[in-house]
Amino acid sequence: MIGRAYHKLVISPAYHKRWLDIGVTKYLLFRHNYNRQSISDMTDNELIHNLKCLKEIKPRKDWVVLTKSRILAQEQTREAEEMASVFSVFRYKLAFAPILSVVLVIGLFGFAQGTMPGDFFFSIKKATETVQVGFSSEMEKPKVQLQLANKRLAELSQIAESNQVGKLEPAIKEFQASLVQATQNLNDMDANVTSSDAIVLRELVEETLKLAENKERVERVLGAEVGDTQDLKNALSVLEKQTAGYLIEDLSSRTLTEEKQELLKQAMQDYDAGLYQEALYKLWQAHNNQ
Amino acid sequence: MSQLEKEFGKIYDKSVDKIYRFIYLKVNSQEIAEDLTSETFTRGWEAFQKQASKIDNPQAFLYQIARNLVTDQYRQKAQAQFVSMESVPQAQSREKSLEEIAMLTSDVGRIKAALAKVNDNYREIIVWYYLDEFTVPEIAKILNKSEEAVRVVIHRALKALRAELQ
Repeated sequence: MIGRAYHKLVISPAYHKRWLDIGVTKYLLFRHNYNRQSISDMTDNELIHNLKCLKEIKPRKDWVVLTKSRILAQEQTREAEEMASVFSVFRYKLAFAPILSVVLVIGLFGFAQGTMPGDFFFSIKKATETVQVGFSSEMEKPKVQLQLANKRLAELSQIAESNQVGKLEPAIKEFQASLVQATQNLNDMDANVTSSDAIVLRELVEETLKLAENKERVERVLGAEVGDTQDLKNALSVLEKQTAGYLIEDLSSRTLTEEKQELLKQAMQDYDAGLYQEALYKLWQAHNNQ
Repeated sequence: MSQLEKEFGKIYDKSVDKIYRFIYLKVNSQEIAEDLTSETFTRGWEAFQKQASKIDNPQAFLYQIARNLVTDQYRQKAQAQFVSMESVPQAQSREKSLEEIAMLTSDVGRIKAALAKVNDNYREIIVWYYLDEFTVPEIAKILNKSEEAVRVVIHRALKALRAELQ
């Protein structure tokens, strides 16, 4: 019983629809025959009225929109192609212009990195370095400046070794200028630094010591002191004094092993005696083992 | 978008429905009507770009293109049998929907079928006068005929249509 009822429930809507369809079709066929008889009796007005119903014939809306944009766009590309074919030479030039300029700029900057003081493109190298310093933090600036001073010194030694006499003077000048700048930056640091940064200070010492070593080497090669050496010496000694001063202050504020306390003590004695370089070596050792 | 494009865009918006209907009533296929309508406007736009100033009645100009295209279509059809997607067996075997049956059997459907059969000149004038609602002077201008002649053709066209309906 339950099964049969279920069967009925499933089947009946479909049957229902089928009969409904047949009913509608029959009705339409009836109307069709009726119309067949009546259409010749239609008045002109009725005919025109029915004719006007054909206004309902309309293209698909999406097709209308699509076709419009396609036709107008097609012409645009055709126009563009024509333009391109006329100016094909310019088109290539224009297309490569950005790439070419980027390559040129990168090439120029890259090339400039290998120049020496006194070279034509040295100013470009200096400009990139100025930007480099500009982007460094306040704490890093003296270190970067010291690195630059070392670079100038390396260039100076290279020039000295290859006996390029003409470039010697600008090279020495550049070195002096960078040294003055480094010293100034370190002086500025005095006011800026609130807490000592061990790593940066250690790097400062490293650079300063390197500077002293390089300078000695250059002077050895040249067989004479470089230009106005007294100024250089003064600047370097100020630099060394500054750095040593920082380090002593920094190490004093820490708890140190006996060995390091001894190093610090000796360094302080050297500092008081004006032997800043000696002091720096000792402080450097103490810092290195920290 | 250039001024010319804007102008042609307006013409397109104004006449696309009419041109489509004009073509559809002859070819009686959505697919072909869409193709020919699109071709009509493509050619129209090409001509419009070259000599917009010379076309004083763009709508009449488009009708002229459509008319030629429909004629070409039938000439081609006479030479080679093209098979429209709408007439492939798959479409044929499909049972006609109730809507289609209703359309076929209705007065409007029968008028539509009769209209496709009447002489091209008569159909054009019926479409222009009764569907597009062009005035007699406007049609006279398109056909380059006198207004009186146009009125006579309208009268004969309606008579021809009625004859097809019998």
